[in-house]
Amino acid sequence: MSVDTTTSADSGGTPGNPGSDVESVVAIFRRVLESTEVTPDSDFFLLGGDSLIATRVLSAIARSHGVELSFDDFVLAPTPQGLAEQIATAR
Amino acid sequence: MRHDRAGATSAVVVGAGLAGLTAATGLAAHGIEVTVLEARDRVGGRTHGRQVGSGSWIDAGAAYLGDRHTELNALIAELGLKTTPTTMQGASRFALGAEHATRDGRFPPLNAVALGDLFELLDELATAVRPEAPWLTPDAERLDALTAAEWAEQHLTHPDARLFFPLFLGEMMAADPADVSVLHLAFYLRSGGGLRYLNAFEGGAQQDRIAGGAHQACELLAGRLGDRVRLGEPVLAVRQDEDGVTVRTPQGDHRADVVVMALPPLLADAVDYRPALPVRRASERTARGCAVKVNLVYPGPLWREHGLSGWSVNAEGPLLSTVDDSPPEGGVGVLTGFVTGGEAHRYAALTAQQQRSAAVEQAARLFPMLPEPIGFHLTDWVNEQYSQGCYAALLGPGDWLRLGPTLTTPHHRVHWAGTETSTEYFGLMEGAIRSGHRVVAEILAR
Repeated sequence: MSVDTTTSADSGGTPGNPGSDVESVVAIFRRVLESTEVTPDSDFFLLGGDSLIATRVLSAIARSHGVELSFDDFVLAPTPQGLAEQIATAR
Repeated sequence: MRHDRAGATSAVVVGAGLAGLTAATGLAAHGIEVTVLEARDRVGGRTHGRQVGSGSWIDAGAAYLGDRHTELNALIAELGLKTTPTTMQGASRFALGAEHATRDGRFPPLNAVALGDLFELLDELATAVRPEAPWLTPDAERLDALTAAEWAEQHLTHPDARLFFPLFLGEMMAADPADVSVLHLAFYLRSGGGLRYLNAFEGGAQQDRIAGGAHQACELLAGRLGDRVRLGEPVLAVRQDEDGVTVRTPQGDHRADVVVMALPPLLADAVDYRPALPVRRASERTARGCAVKVNLVYPGPLWREHGLSGWSVNAEGPLLSTVDDSPPEGGVGVLTGFVTGGEAHRYAALTAQQQRSAAVEQAARLFPMLPEPIGFHLTDWVNEQYSQGCYAALLGPGDWLRLGPTLTTPHHRVHWAGTETSTEYFGLMEGAIRSGHRVVAEILAR
């Protein structure tokens, strides 16, 4: 078993391309929230997300983008757009 | 067994918990003559109310429910009971390292990516399991042979994930990772609605409590049965013959067409059956759910005045987590502490005085505003003779493959109920009720 096998759908974060970072975070949100109603400015917590599955988003971002964001980073910007900006800053 | 399929007109139900009483009232409603045999001097099984003030009761056993627990919610409504939301407003306390920490929400001060990796792995396991037949899960043999402790050793590298995993398992399923197979862990998470539902308060499995205590559901069901519920009658043996079945207790024999064994697997396995069971109900690897529940009673929920929710998570025992269980009607404040996993065995072995002072001192370190409690209740479910563990039995290595296929298969006239026979919401009150409904349908279809 490997974590990577679950997350092939999350890939697509081309380094340095904020547009595709947003798309890949949208895909991660959709997977962990089991919801298709995710747009770049969707608030994770308003979509029913909680702290437990927020960490799954951070885990997926670390694997697909090589960037480790903290839980506080997530809470400050809990949207695909906001997280893509954090990814770009952290790179 | 000539008359096996002749249609039952009488039934003995063994065990007056939620499963047994659901089954007994269901059978009685279809005109079947029922007798309920209960070993204890009370009904309720793993639900148990304790009075903490005038008209105020708390749960010393099973307590929480959520919206997906549809059968339990229906029963609550039918019995005229009410639910009350579990309070979770304010900041949490954490003692996971050298210092105590206060943080908003429930997220512990640990590496979020490391915990996310853990939850991704657990979600992957839970998603892969066949919830209605875990023994048919892809790779079931390997997952059933491996303990959760061995799995953690192989898969968790970050110290924060290694620290949090046993705490999480203790909280979710009152398990020491060494006691459960990975297949059981995966099944339990899936059966309860997934990692997130099982863990959540609002919108999850801990959203509500039954106002006045969960034990009332059993007491009201038992009230409908009146003197058909016999307390203080532990069942020793079940004898089947051509015409029926005899259930033996120290007080005498009870004769019926069918029997419902509504007991945890370790207790069901200890009864002497003739003819003998083709497959046991529990194995030497089946373990007791490891939970000691401590209810500390204070003059009020004093932590709330300091912006704290009462929720805490702690690496050191005895109280590995605490939650605000104050009665909704006001008055006293109740902080409930959970002692789970291996810590439950250690704590259960202390003297009553040691237990009290360890819990009271830890609560005061977590919540320094707390005075000496005005009440202290401790319920050691691990060593409770007629439960042998709580929340539920822990299926160890090999158990699902050996015992799973016959989980609900009747042994001639003997039918099986209890939350551990429900693949839906296994280990929860909801699972107990669902098993009671299933067994009624089985008997009516005989």
